[in-house]
Formats: sequence, structure tokens, C-alpha cells
Amino acid sequence: MLFSLLLFTGSLVIAQTVQISGTVTSSEDGLPVPGVSVIVKGTTIGALTGVDGKYILAVPQNSQALVFSFIGFRTFEAPIQGKNSIDVTLETDLFKVDEVVVVAYGTQQKRDITGAISTVSGKDISLMPVQSFDQALQGKAAGVNITMPNGVLNNPPVIRVRGFNSISSSSSPLIVVDGVPIFTGNLSGTNSFLNSLSDINPADIESMEILKDASATAIYGSRAASGVILITTKRGAAGNTKVTYDGYAGWTQPYNLFDVMNADQYIEHKNLARANNPASGLGFDFFVPTDANGNRIDTKWSDYVYQTGFQQNHAISISGATKNTSYYLSVGYTDQEGMVQKNSYNRKNARLNIDQKVNKYISISANISYSNGYSKAPNTGASFATAGAARLAFVLAPNLGPYALDGSGKYNINGSAIGNMGQPVANYGYYNPVAIFDLNKFTTENDRLLATLSATIEPFKGLTFKTVYGLDNVSIEDNLFQTGVTGDSYASNGLAWNQFNRPNRWTWTNTLNYNVTLSEKFNLGALAGIEEQFTSGKSWIGQKTNVNDVFFTEYHGSWTTAGMGTGGFYENYFLSYFGRLNFNFDRKYYFEVTGRRDGFSGLSEGNKFGNFGGASVMWNISKESFAESLNSIVSDLRLKASYGRVGNMSGINSYASLFLYNSGVYGAVPSWNFNQAGNPELQWEASSKFDLGLSFALLKDRIQADINWYYNNVDDLILNVPQSPSKGIPNNTVPANMGTMYNTGFEFTVTSYNITGPKLNWTTSLNLSTLKNEVTELAPGVTEIIGTTGGLEQTNRTLVGLPIGNIWAVETRGVDPATGRRIFVNAAGQEILYSHEAANKWTNRSDGSTASAITLAKDGKASGSPLPTLFGGIDNNLTYGNFDASLNLTYSMGFYVYNGSKAGLRDQRWWNNSVEVYENAWKTAGQVTNIPKPVMNDNVSNGSAFAISENVEKGNFLKVRSFSAGYSFRNFPEITGIERIRVYGQLFNAFVFTKYTGSDPEVSTNGDTNLTPGIDRNSAPQAITYTLGINVTF
Amino acid sequence: MIKMKNTYKISLILFLTLLVGACSKDDLTLAPQTALGEPNAFDTKERIVGQVNGLYASVKNGGFLGGRYYVYNDIREENFIPKSTNLVTNYATWNHTVIGSTNEVQNLWGFVYASVNAINLFLTGLDANYASGKLATVGVSDAEYNQYKGEALALRGICYFSLLQLYAQPYNKDNGASPGLPLRLLAEKTAANNDLARSSVAETYAQILSDLNAAEPLLATNNGSALLNVTRLHKNSVAAYKTRVYLHMSNWASVKSEAAKIVSATAPFTAPSGVAFRLNTTFAGIWATPYTSTESVFSMPFTSTNLPGTQNGLAHYHHPSSSESYFLNKEPGTAYAMLVAADARKVLFQTGTVSGNTEYFVGKWQNYTVQADYAPVIRYAEVLLNYAEAIAKSDGLTQQAVDLLNAVRTRSFPAGTYTLASFADVSAFLTAVMNERSMEFLGEGIRNMDILRTYQTIPGKQSIPAVPTTSKSYIWPIPDSEISTNKLMTVN
Repeated sequence: MLFSLLLFTGSLVIAQTVQISGTVTSSEDGLPVPGVSVIVKGTTIGALTGVDGKYILAVPQNSQALVFSFIGFRTFEAPIQGKNSIDVTLETDLFKVDEVVVVAYGTQQKRDITGAISTVSGKDISLMPVQSFDQALQGKAAGVNITMPNGVLNNPPVIRVRGFNSISSSSSPLIVVDGVPIFTGNLSGTNSFLNSLSDINPADIESMEILKDASATAIYGSRAASGVILITTKRGAAGNTKVTYDGYAGWTQPYNLFDVMNADQYIEHKNLARANNPASGLGFDFFVPTDANGNRIDTKWSDYVYQTGFQQNHAISISGATKNTSYYLSVGYTDQEGMVQKNSYNRKNARLNIDQKVNKYISISANISYSNGYSKAPNTGASFATAGAARLAFVLAPNLGPYALDGSGKYNINGSAIGNMGQPVANYGYYNPVAIFDLNKFTTENDRLLATLSATIEPFKGLTFKTVYGLDNVSIEDNLFQTGVTGDSYASNGLAWNQFNRPNRWTWTNTLNYNVTLSEKFNLGALAGIEEQFTSGKSWIGQKTNVNDVFFTEYHGSWTTAGMGTGGFYENYFLSYFGRLNFNFDRKYYFEVTGRRDGFSGLSEGNKFGNFGGASVMWNISKESFAESLNSIVSDLRLKASYGRVGNMSGINSYASLFLYNSGVYGAVPSWNFNQAGNPELQWEASSKFDLGLSFALLKDRIQADINWYYNNVDDLILNVPQSPSKGIPNNTVPANMGTMYNTGFEFTVTSYNITGPKLNWTTSLNLSTLKNEVTELAPGVTEIIGTTGGLEQTNRTLVGLPIGNIWAVETRGVDPATGRRIFVNAAGQEILYSHEAANKWTNRSDGSTASAITLAKDGKASGSPLPTLFGGIDNNLTYGNFDASLNLTYSMGFYVYNGSKAGLRDQRWWNNSVEVYENAWKTAGQVTNIPKPVMNDNVSNGSAFAISENVEKGNFLKVRSFSAGYSFRNFPEITGIERIRVYGQLFNAFVFTKYTGSDPEVSTNGDTNLTPGIDRNSAPQAITYTLGINVTF
Repeated sequence: MIKMKNTYKISLILFLTLLVGACSKDDLTLAPQTALGEPNAFDTKERIVGQVNGLYASVKNGGFLGGRYYVYNDIREENFIPKSTNLVTNYATWNHTVIGSTNEVQNLWGFVYASVNAINLFLTGLDANYASGKLATVGVSDAEYNQYKGEALALRGICYFSLLQLYAQPYNKDNGASPGLPLRLLAEKTAANNDLARSSVAETYAQILSDLNAAEPLLATNNGSALLNVTRLHKNSVAAYKTRVYLHMSNWASVKSEAAKIVSATAPFTAPSGVAFRLNTTFAGIWATPYTSTESVFSMPFTSTNLPGTQNGLAHYHHPSSSESYFLNKEPGTAYAMLVAADARKVLFQTGTVSGNTEYFVGKWQNYTVQADYAPVIRYAEVLLNYAEAIAKSDGLTQQAVDLLNAVRTRSFPAGTYTLASFADVSAFLTAVMNERSMEFLGEGIRNMDILRTYQTIPGKQSIPAVPTTSKSYIWPIPDSEISTNKLMTVN
């Protein structure tokens, strides 16, 4: 007994104790439960149940109760009342009430959390046919909006947590894996996208927590303004070693491809347009050529660009835990072909997570993962690239073919462009997609080591010292080969460009954590920490042009001209001090305060540190005595409020505050050029976040809901303040902390365990978020910031008083039935008609007099916000015996999309048009239609010359994100070792319900952007994927 | 015993924590490894020379004197037809549909002023370091200080003159009373001073001449090698450039006095002192490596690792293999039509097939795959023709003027010698000079300057109508980016 005292108490007083013992069983099957924690309430005195479910404890006299807790079961408090033997049956935590949630630098009980945190279980996303887990997060968490820019493999999705939190810096959240902030974004230097997050095998993820308000995120200080996503990888669970195999095979195809004209429709329509414009410059009519074998040329170009891709994915994991060791080993392989030809992604990865309790004070753990990814893609087009596959699929004329007419099998090319097969257009200017697909290559390969090593020392219960060292080392090799036969590198007779890039980062965090309970009711926790982070990126480039023979298709071949690009080199360093204090009284009244002081090397001298912090309070009303009577109806009622100040440092590069010269050459001699006007006063952006929340549960926790209202005010926005170009400042901008913007909205999350029977189980969870974003201040004298797509088309404007990135277009009001001309509306509100072939192109509709030309600068106006004002998801999961099914819906409303592709589909140059143009083009006076009179070379009426409101459409949609159904086989003979085999089928991106006429309203040609969201300009469509899979658990 | 154990543990923890805190590296001041911070830019003589080279590199931008500037000034006029309607290769300049937001309008303005600011920054830094004695410490002699200063000033004059040709009305319209350019003469590094009103064309010319005249005495007489004499400015190159500037101001006397510095009294014409300019024996030889013949006064150099950039190089715009190049217009009155078959300039033309027809391309930049042919800013042939025109306009039809014209003409077309009797009067002679310029300088960006300075209608070509001097399209608009940020700016 004395021995037990020494072992289990740190107390200096030898008090009188009583021995209590008992057995803990599970209510589900009556079997004993090992590893259950039994603690004397209000103390740190405790024990664990053994394999037989039994425990023995020396309990101080006058103790009130014993608390029994274990993961997956409801925590149970048993009053002692003088007994020596207490047996307990634990109920399974059907409704996940006593879940432990990962928070910043620690964990907390779900109902003790005072901040706004959304949790997504790894199980929900592990089987989705995606390349990275963030592609499966849509609609899973309130306040989190995820957009897939297009269906090209591994294109990083755009993630927004509670709106847009920056204008010039990034609005994407900080991603922390097992305590280490990792690199995010597209790692590829060429056309083959490589999402940094794809290096994490979704099957390895245990849970994801999205920290949203200041209380939850402030401890990440200067990187927290756009939210934080914590990823925790799996650990071995106690019990026998568990082996699993998960595999699936699938097919993916694009959907909603444009319906364009065939060759006969094309020549009929274009010759009509030519007849309508005598000055077209085309000497004769278009015709359908015939090849040497007598076949008419009628090409469906999308057949040469898209395909049905095959995908397969395999993952094996081995995990388990003994008394002192827990391990999780997983190996994964995925090989996916995309919906675009020559697009593929292949990844091999392995992970080993080990926790080892060295002795009663020290434990160590290691999470090591290695991943090798290989991404290959054709040029899928960044809006206006002439090589862009998505655009070539619908812009090219159907009366041109990919191969020469003479039947020789050679490509139909004319210099860099597609050959004209004798048509009246001298030079089509666009490339032959079959030739460039066959001959060009863009690949990216990366190797990544993501590891964290940590040691925890607990000298006595309650005080923990933890040191964590994390590594995120990536090596990326980009290979680009463009042929000299045709296409982009025709002029230089071929181009091979290789880049080797090594972004490396180490993070070292030391924390001291102390938890104590005083007088059984005062629970106090204190955390203090120091963190250092060092990031470097070194890249170098080799480039060769003028290949010596078409035989060579690699950088390593024989080329005439070799050169070295400059590559890049940066280093930066972070030093932070942080702390957190949380306190609750009897789990009824909660108070938490956090603070962080961050220093960053990229800021100027004397300016390097910033302070951030947050505080929150929570009142658990349901624990009050006056609420006890309601407990049968309302089993949980908590009111929370939080406020804090966090920062965004993504807009400050490693050397942003300095004035710099960079080196170059003048002919063959070295030169120095002034190339950066830094700002020594530059600070990071900061936002004040305010959150009010109400969490409640009805019907004994069967229905759990959270309602939050948030208001984020971002000030000190770093804006590249435009300068007059005549001042000659590099980039014509100087960065300064100038602007302000706010995001506000409601979040509503409900999880309902509708039916939890032994055979039938049905759970619904739905979330709904609203968002209002408004820019309240820009730099003095700057009334607007213009957003440009592809460097060529001005599509958005950011102005004070409107949401960020508003679509900007000239208003049009359809087509004038009398003349067939597009009706434009000028700044004064007058209707102006456009006639491309006339001498006076612009005339007043009222009287036909000459009008001044319409320009975007003069007559454009705010045409719709691309930020959804209402969005969310609805998940339904059903199991009936061995069957299971799940349906995930996502929806997004209250936003507009600029359908720039539609402008291209109606362009009256030689470009192919949609069938709608062929059928509905205005031909006779009085005809009411939305397609104007076809006039050859007219690129104004359709919206190519500048954006028109005709092409701004509502994007509201409801998507069936995934639908899956499966059947589990159990009861296998023991000799096989198989516990369960589940087979399933799944549809991903199954259906879209929308009025949007483009391929998909969920689109972003400009990717992760603040100033130009909501643009659909020649983007590749999205893909639907069908998979069949099998999960085997041994 | 228990007490000690705990104290031991606690102190161990504290010790570890302190250790960790002390280990934090003082890396908060990481300096960039690939860029030079401003305070160090004048630390060594090599860096100062590097900055001077940097000023030349800045004007050598593919969007300015590295390529596109010459193209803009040629395709506005009648000699060229584009193969492609691609707006990226200046189609809107060719058919006079540029507006304030057109790329070439915004880009050229930006590039030229970026060079001007780089020059202003350099001059400020150079003078400050000279005054503090630092230049002497790093081994820069007074003569070298003067030379660098002179090069910077002369480049600034060239920048402003180049801008005037496209964004302002010609001097000869109203003696320079029209709005000119905002004269940026101070180094700009911060967000202040966005607003600056335009000076008049006359005031802008005054500033240009002030810079060029201040530069000339400071510059070296000879930079030491043929390459340096062609790629960096010296006394004679500035004198040559001034003949162009004074010609645009109709200041014939000054054209003559400048030309007299670098043109001998009789043929064969050469510079009597300083770098000995001379017409190259063959026309084709001017365009062959090493591009440093005695005819080249000032050119922009390129190498295989230092190219003009995608769609910027002169070869991209004038080579038959380029899908976006411009072929020669053969209509009557064009340079092609006026050149006789035996003329070396016509012999140099390349051919290509466009829409089934054989078309002709200026053959001066034949290196299409690696576009490392130098770009000529000004060459001696122009000095001679400037001189001839100035003489004719002030002294009438003289033998000296005819000799100067012949020197250029017979170099390429020996049978084409003129005599005094060839011309009925001075205006016939001046027409011949203009025609010779059109034929001689195809692709070199002279034609637009000639049409505008003589205040003529811009001729039409194919379906594009002529542009009268009263048209809004006669000169380029002021870029939208300037209007939206400079409150004192006025549009054209």
C-alpha cells in the first residue's frame, strides 16, 4: 500500500486511503473493456483497467466519486458512498458527446471547447476518389467553402474559411499536420499540377479540425487570419493488431462539354457571316475539305482532348498497440488517369507512426511519412494560352483536321499553328492539339519527407514538457519539353526546361503544460511555449533550345543552345512565444485567454515583432440547477463568445522591406538593375475576429447543433498601392498596410442521429453558412483595384462598398429584333447598337445617330458578386444490417459567374461556335433572339473585346457530391483472419443541378485568387468519377 | 526524500526550458543571397559599372529599344502588312485601334519611365557618393565619374525623345505648344509624388537637349573597343542622336553644326575626330555578326543567353518563319515598290509564302531561332540623310546635300547616283530624301517619326484607311494606368 502511494501520488502528505476495485464492462456486448481510465474525481489519482477489465485503486478518504472514461464510450461518474467494490457498465458514445477534439497544441473534450471549431472525421474522406484530402472537404464544415478550379488532376482546391481575409496576400488557411505547419499550394513549376496536400494519403488521416474564430486560432498568431486546419494522423489502437486493405478502381469522364457546330453547320454559318461583312478580308467561302481517301473532314475536337480515365488506388495499413507501444504503418499506391488525355497522377507513399512509453515519466513518438508523386498533364490552358487544351477543344474549326489531307499521316500544321487546309483564313494562329499532345510533355515529380519527432516528459501528474521537432522537406523536379515541330516552341525549334526546387522547412516547438484541479471544481490549465521555424527554398533551372534532331525529346538530348535560368533562393525565420490559460469552474463557467508574440525575418529592423491574442468565455447553461428540469429535452446548452486579434503574414516575402537590385546581363557584360522598392514600414495584416455561439443538444444528445455568428474585420490590409507608371517604380506598386474589409455571417451545423437501432442506423448532418463580405477602405486615392484574367482581360474590380472581386462588365440588353445588333448600355443609360461591318460601328438605338464607342473603362459597372452568400452541405449516412449507403450534397447560392467561355463560343472570327449560335443567330427583321447577326470578325457583340453582362450568369447550384452504397460480409472462418470485407460502389460529382450554361458553376480559371474569383474563361470542365472498391479488415 | 525528487524534477524542467530559449538563433536578420541591398550598390567599382550597364539593359527591354519600339514606329505607316491578327503582336497598332488600355500603349509607357527612374536613381546615388568621396575610395576617377554621369543623362534624353514620338503631337504642328510628357527628373522610391502635370512638347524637347548637351562633354571620346563604342554612348554617338532631335524641331542650323562634328566635309564621309563612323561598304554587312561595323552608332546587343524575349525581337516581326511577322506592302508608293531589283537592300529581302502568295520580308534580322541580332537605335546612314535634309531646308539644293544622299544611295544601288540636275527643285530633292529614308530604314522604326515630324497624313494600307493629322488616332492615347493614378494628367 505504501508502494502504491509512492507510485500514484505526488502529494507530500500520507493520507488515509481506502482500496476500491471493480470491473468495467461494455453495455454493447457485456465484455470487459481494457485500458479504461479510472480517476478519483477532482484529483489526478487514477489507474487503468487491465485486459480483464479490472482495476484497483487506493482512494483517499472523503473522495466523492470515481470518473470512468474511454474513447468511444460515455464518460461515467460513479459516486463512492463508502463502497469498496464498484462495477461499471459503460455506454457506447453513440452520439459522440465525449469526443476528444484536437485543438492548437493539445486536445480538449468537445464540450469544453470555447472557440469555434469544426471537426471532420478521416473516415468521411478516406475513400473518396480524389488526389488530396482537401478535394473531399466540400460541404463538410460550416463556414468553409471549397472550390475545385477545374477537373484537371491534382489542381489545388481553393479553401476559404469564413470568407476572404485578404486582398493581396493569401486567403488560404494555415495547414498544420501533427503539429507542424506545412507547405501548401501548387508545387509544380509547369503545367502538371501538384497539390502539396496530395502528399498526405487520405487514408492516414484520423481527423481534421478547422479552427475558425480568434479563440481557437489566436495561438497561431500571425498566420491565423484565414483560419487553421489541423490534421492528425492515425495512431495504433489498443487490442490485437489490425490489418486493413482498401482498394478501388474507377473511371472518370468530363461532363457538360460544350455542344459545338459540326463542319456543315460551321461553313453555313461562317459563310453567312462572311457575306454580312464585305470587308472581312476573306477571299472566298469556307468549305469542307476532303482528304486523299475521299473522307470529308468533320472533326469533333473534344474527342481528341478528353477521355475516360482509369484510376486505381490501394492502401494497406497495419496498426495496433500494446501496453507501452502503439504503432501505425501504412503503405499506399494510387495511379489515376484524368479526364483530359495525357493527364495522370501517380503516388506511392508510406507512413509509420509510433508512440512509445519509455518509462513512467517519458514517452516519445515519431510520425514519419515519405511520399513520391508523379504528375503529368498537357497544357490545359491558363485562360488565354493558345496551347490551352480546354480552349482548343471548342474553339477549333470542325472543317480542319488533325492530320494532313494527303493521307501521309503527318500532322496538319503550318509553322507553329494548325494548318489551314486551304481555307480562306491565312493563319489560324492556334495549335494542333493532337500534335502538341503527342509531342509535348509536362511532368512534375516530387519526393517528400514529412516527419515529426517528439518527446514528452511528465515528472508528475499535471505538468508536461513536450518538445516537437518537425521536418517538411520536399524535392520537386519539373520537366517541360515542347517540340520544335509546331506549337509554342516552334520559333525556338524546341524547348526543354527543367527546374529542381527544394522547399525545406524545420519547426521546433517546446511547450510546458500544467493542468490542475483545485477543490474539485476549479479546473485550471496553463500552456507556455516557444517555437522556431526556418524555411528555405532553393531552385535552379536548366534550359535548352534549338534541338538538333526531332529524335531528341528530353532535356538530356542534343541541343544547340543551352542556358541556365536563374532559379530562386530565399530563406526566412520565425521566432514565437505563446501562451494559453484556460480555466473553468465545475465545467459550468469557462474562460480562456491566449497570446502570441511572433517575430519574422522579412520585416524591417525595429519592426520585426507583432503581438496577437484572443479571449473567450462560455457558459454551460445546461449544468445550472435551474436548467436541470429541462435536461430530458435539452441535454446540452452552452453559450459562447470570443474576441481576438490575429495576423496574416502570407503577403510578406522573405525580403519585402528591403530596397533591392538584381543582377542581369547587358549583352555579355554584367549589370545591376533596381528591381524592388521595399517598404520599411511594412507590417503584417491583422484582423479582429468576434464570434458568438450557441451549442445545444436535444432529445438526450440525439440532435446536436451549433449556431455561430461571426464578424471578422480585417485592417492593415497589405495593398500594392498603384503608382503612376511615369514614376517608374518596379511593378508600378509600393506595398503598404492600407485597406480594410470585413466578413460576417452565420453558421449553422446540425448532426442528427435519427435512428440508432441495432440493425438500422441513419445519421444526417447538415451545415449552412452565410457570408457577407465588404471592402470598407482601400488606399487613399485608390478607388478601385482592377483584377485581370490571364493578364489580358479585365474581369473584376474591387471597390469600397462592394464585396471583393466583383465582376465588372458592360451592361447589355439582348439583341435588337429590328436590326439583329447587340444592345449595349452606356454610362448614361442609353442603348447603343454595335455593327461590326459598318463605318459607324456604334449607333444610338433610338435614332441611329453615331454614338461614342463603348469601353469597359467608361461604361462598365458592377455586374454581380462571385462570393456565395449561402452555402453548405447535407450528408446522409445509412446502415441497414450489412448494407450501407451515403449521400453527400453540397450547395452554393447567391453568386454570379463570368462565363467567359461563352464569349468564345459566340465569337464571330473563324472560331467554332455553339450549336445555339447556328440555330438562333438573327437572320430576319423582327426576329426575337439572343444571338446577334453574324458578321465575320465581330468579336465585340459576343463579349470577347470586353466583358458584357450577357455573359454574367447566376451560379447557384446543388450538387450530388458523392453517392455510395456498400455491402459488408462478415463471419468468415477464423483461419482466414478476415473480420470483414466490404464491397462498394461510388459516384463522385454525380449530378449538378444549376441554371448555369457553362460546364460547371464551381470553377475558378484564376485558381486561388482574391481579386479575380468566379471567372470561367476557357477552363477545363469538372469530372464525374465512378468507382468500385473493396475494404478488407483482418 | 520525496521532496528532493520533485525539486530535482522541477529544476530539470526549468533548466531544459531555459536551454531551449537560449538556443533560439538570432536569425531574424536574414539577408538575401541573390539580390543586392541598396546600401551596397556603390561599394565597388564593378558594381557601379554594373549599374551603368543596368541602365542600358533597362532601355534594352524587349518592349522598348530591344525590339517592339521599332515595330510600333514602322507598322503604323504604309510599308508592312501583318500575317496574324494577334493583338499580342501589335495588330491594334497596325490598324490604329489602340485605346488607353491597349497593352502596347500601357507597356511602352511603363518600360520607358522605368528606365527614366532607374537613371534618376543612379544619378542621385552617383552624385551623393561622389560628394562623399566614396567614388574616389573605390577607384572611380573623375573622368570615369563624368562618363557614367554623361551616359545616364544621354540615356534619359533618348528615353524622353522616344516617348514623344508616339504619345505627343509633333513639334512642327505648333512649335511645340501641344501637351508633351510629365518630366520625371527625381528618383522615386516611395508612394509620394504620383501627380505630375505634362510639360509642353517644347519644354520636353528643352529637357531632352539639356540632357544631351550636358552629357556630350562628360562622355569619353572613345570607349576603347568596337563593341563598347557601339553598345555604350560616347561623344560622337550623342552628337549623332542630336542631329535626329534637332531635325524634329526643324532647327536646321543645329542639325548642321552637330553633323559637322561627325561628318567630314567631303566624301567618303567619316567622323573627323573621335570614333570614326563610316558607312559600311556593303549593306548586308551591317546586319552580320559581330554587328559592330563603323556604321553602327548605337545598337542594343544580344547574345544567345540574353535575348529580347518572347514575341519581342525584331526577327519575330520580320522573319518569314514567324507566324506573326509582317511582310512588305507592295502597293505603289511603298518602299518595296520604289526599290529596284538590283538594289542591295531589296536583294537582302527574304521570301515566304502567305495565303499561297510569295511575300517579301525585311532581311536584316535573319537569326530567327536564336534572336541575337543587335537592334539598331541609330546608325550613320541616318546622320548623313539628316544632314542632307537640313542643308536642303536651310541652304537649298546644294552639291553637298546631293553627295550626302548619294553616299547612302549608291552604297546599295551603285547605278542610282543622283546629280543636281536630277531634281527640278528643292522639294523634289526633299521627296527623294524621304523616299530614300523609307527604303533604307525598313524595320528600324524611322518611318513613323518621318511622317509625323513633317506633319503628313499617315498613309493607308490594304483596307486600313489613311489617318489625317486631325484624327484622334494620329498619336497614341495616354495609358489608362497613368490617368487613373496621376491626377494632373490630361488625355490626348
